[in-house]
Amino acid sequence: MKHFEDVQVGDVMRFGRYEVTREEIVEYARQFDPQPFHLDEEAAKASMFGGLIASGWHTGAMFIRMVVEHMTPEHATSGAMGFDDLKWLRPVRPGDVLSVESEIREKIESRSRPDRGTVKIESRIINQRGEVVMSLVSLVIYLRR
Amino acid sequence: MKYWEDFEVGETTELGSCSITEAEILAFARKYDPQPFHIDPEAARRSIFGGLIASGWHTCALMMRLSVDAARREEAAATGSPGLDSCRWLKPVRPGDTLTGRTEVLETWPSRSKPIGFVRRRLELVNQLGEAVLAVVGVTMYRRRPAAA
Repeated sequence: MKHFEDVQVGDVMRFGRYEVTREEIVEYARQFDPQPFHLDEEAAKASMFGGLIASGWHTGAMFIRMVVEHMTPEHATSGAMGFDDLKWLRPVRPGDVLSVESEIREKIESRSRPDRGTVKIESRIINQRGEVVMSLVSLVIYLRR
Repeated sequence: MKYWEDFEVGETTELGSCSITEAEILAFARKYDPQPFHIDPEAARRSIFGGLIASGWHTCALMMRLSVDAARREEAAATGSPGLDSCRWLKPVRPGDTLTGRTEVLETWPSRSKPIGFVRRRLELVNQLGEAVLAVVGVTMYRRRPAAA
């Protein structure tokens, strides 16, 4: 298990493989982001996106799934405070295959809680063509040894 | 139709309310955020959270739903978002909570290359005890008002 002491600024991790389906895009959008270009192929074709695209928040949900599956089991984390600087850079479409590249950016010791610290992790979500579709800087809580 | 020109700095909007059930928390987390304190009520009781809590990404999704419904009510000409400056999960969201959203416009500026403009706003979700559970600062794009014919 990697604790606060074990992660170093500059460490890079690459993980995950998420196949994006039309059914899942529409299912998420119906529940949380019912805009025409997330729901309806015809309306999406007529939009500036030229076809159905995933809700940006859905891409965020796919990101956290890959994190929980591949990173969380090996890291002594206790959730996150949130994130900064989230960018939706390119549309995510049915058939895309996403993966994650994460880099440790900064470690902040807690003054009030000596048993933990905050780690700033910059993550890029990348499609099958190597294009970054989303990026963000997460504020993850790590336990100390 | 509410265009970019119609947004004023300082303007606040009530987004309405929604509630969240244990079944919804479990369904979202099983699919997207399967950590024990989101998917296992017993493990959650023993965790630092003292009970089941919603994934922060689920809370964000609920904020998005309230925003989309509010934008539809005011017929806003929204065309998506380039991203967020910040997002903080301030307090746990638990089964049975009712969340109420409000937003405040912080800044507006036009695109130099496209017939759209940007609005930076703060969004907040507050629970039934009046505690802020989510605070976001993000940017939304809106179409410009067409020139009068």
